[in-house]
Amino acid sequence: MNEKDKLEDLFEYTLDMFLKSAGKDHAEITQFNRWRDGIVDANMYTFEVPHLHAQTPQVEVRRNSGEILDLICFASYNYLGYSYHPDVVQAAKDALDVYGLGATGSPVLNGTFDIHNILEKNLSEYFKRENLGTSLFSSGYGANVGVVSAYCHKGDYVVLDRSSHASLIDGAILSQANILMFKHNNVEHLEKILNKIDYENSRILVCVEGVYSTDGNYGNLSEIVPVAKKYGATVLVDEAHSLLVAGPGGRGVAEECGVLDEVDMIIGTFSKSFGGVGGCLIADKELVNYINYYARSRMFSCAIDPGVTGGLIKALELASGPDGDQKREKIKENAKHLRSLLRDKVDIGTAHSWIIPVIYGDEKLTIPLSDYLQHHGLDISLMMFPAVPKNRSRIRAFVTSEHSPEQVEKGAEILLNAAKEFNFLLD
Amino acid sequence: MTSNNNDFLVWNFDFALTTFYEVDAFQLETLIPPQLSLQEAAPGVGLINVTAFNFVEGQLGVLPEFQELILSAIVAPDLRRGVPSAAMFVLSLTSTCQEHLDHSHDYYKLPIVEKLTVSLLNKKNHEINFEDGEGKIAQINNCAPIIEYDNSKRYFQAFTKDGDDVLISDVFIEAPLFEHQENGDTGKLYEHPFFKGIEVDDPDVINFLQMINEPGSAGKQTYFKPTKFV
Repeated sequence: MNEKDKLEDLFEYTLDMFLKSAGKDHAEITQFNRWRDGIVDANMYTFEVPHLHAQTPQVEVRRNSGEILDLICFASYNYLGYSYHPDVVQAAKDALDVYGLGATGSPVLNGTFDIHNILEKNLSEYFKRENLGTSLFSSGYGANVGVVSAYCHKGDYVVLDRSSHASLIDGAILSQANILMFKHNNVEHLEKILNKIDYENSRILVCVEGVYSTDGNYGNLSEIVPVAKKYGATVLVDEAHSLLVAGPGGRGVAEECGVLDEVDMIIGTFSKSFGGVGGCLIADKELVNYINYYARSRMFSCAIDPGVTGGLIKALELASGPDGDQKREKIKENAKHLRSLLRDKVDIGTAHSWIIPVIYGDEKLTIPLSDYLQHHGLDISLMMFPAVPKNRSRIRAFVTSEHSPEQVEKGAEILLNAAKEFNFLLD
Repeated sequence: MTSNNNDFLVWNFDFALTTFYEVDAFQLETLIPPQLSLQEAAPGVGLINVTAFNFVEGQLGVLPEFQELILSAIVAPDLRRGVPSAAMFVLSLTSTCQEHLDHSHDYYKLPIVEKLTVSLLNKKNHEINFEDGEGKIAQINNCAPIIEYDNSKRYFQAFTKDGDDVLISDVFIEAPLFEHQENGDTGKLYEHPFFKGIEVDDPDVINFLQMINEPGSAGKQTYFKPTKFV
């Protein structure tokens, strides 16, 4: 087999193929590394590429080869640009000066600082509902895993949208509850599943998301939440990609759909529109008090570091005022602008959020296309089977409020050139 | 893509339709040997594979044209041998040709069931309809509106059981292939001994993926004699 054939052979593989091997040896590790090394040796490895400064719309990255690339960034979840906002950075520095580098312990023990309490209080008040509390986690993943596994137990039911994030699924597995999945956003299928459960005598948690990042579409909350309530289920909405961005006040898709008061648990992530790291549960105080002790991912993790916490408080303050209103308007304008440049030229699906998929189809294109996009000036995220269906592999453009119109236009130009080069322009 | 022995047979076919279905993983777990584990599509969601072949006249030098239907559970592969597209533990095999069934039992140690009595292929429409003396087994059709074939050589692994031993075979399939995950009606699987242990007559049994080899093309299946899996 010549070098070209060997490389093309590597493009055939998808990550699920290295998931697990039969037999005593961990052959999946050997085979995965063989695949990874092949891509690295061909200088086509675009993952884990170090960024050389803050996640602004224009970034510099260093490839494995040592090559420095100057790219327009549509890969970051920094939707409102708060990760590098001068006031947010200053607030983080101020907190760092006072509290030091790390929290050095579990939030239940010594790890809680007064700024954690301030962030909790501000988040609870932001939602303008009586008796709300907030529980902080050191990651968004930890929030979902901890909340679901603490709230549900053996014999209970966790009912998940089929497109749910891994953290919700992992939380459900950890809870040892019965796991049931309904077709993505399909309220009829959800109802069918709920009907099969002895719902009058069972504890049921229905987990959905505000914005699903594979398609960029909204969760069908206006239909799903009432149906879940009809069957006596508790409703958890993960607003990871939508908190501070969706809804008139930035309170997420539940606010935008008019069902916020019906939602029992709101999960937020600080690594996206807040520009930091961490996660939270916003729910009734009694529930929050319980989760604080029984969510193992919280109890047995260090609290969010003080510098980040200081920055998060400032980001929330900015986002809940006029700055947030302007940024929310701008991100939607930018998304609309990018969509208008791509629509009818490439398949961008039907969603209307700030996550815009560009479907290129064949998963075998993923590695060369990703390499092409970086070498032609774009930092962008690609997604392939099994995360998305066969022949529906996609580029995902994460639009932010901070992109200039010129950056959006240049990004679209690069994407359309790639579509021509890799043959996924629409006829 | 390697194989550990040179003991193989080549089977020529001009039609193949494979459909993967989502089924309750709990049911499947009871059907596979403890040395193997299921590859799940989602927690609690196992996969079965139902494949129909039309083998052309002259296989093993003597056989007439015949049809085969094979049922497998999707399991974790043995990656020491290579990285397959999928690994399958074979649960049932039937065919329109008794000589083929006998050979499959003796040579490949496959679990055969009664010979098919009805075998209707609509190659043009990518549709099959099989039944035997026990009744209807499966009616399966393609559900993708547009089909685009691509020349393909795929590597698979097939596990089977011989007493307490688990056996493994390498299988290579070469034929123009179209693969898709469109939602849609792919027909019906019937309650039948062929599916023993799996509730297939359940509306929640939905198709996960289909592979279609181009009808009329010169497809080639290279199926190695099984060796003991250790």
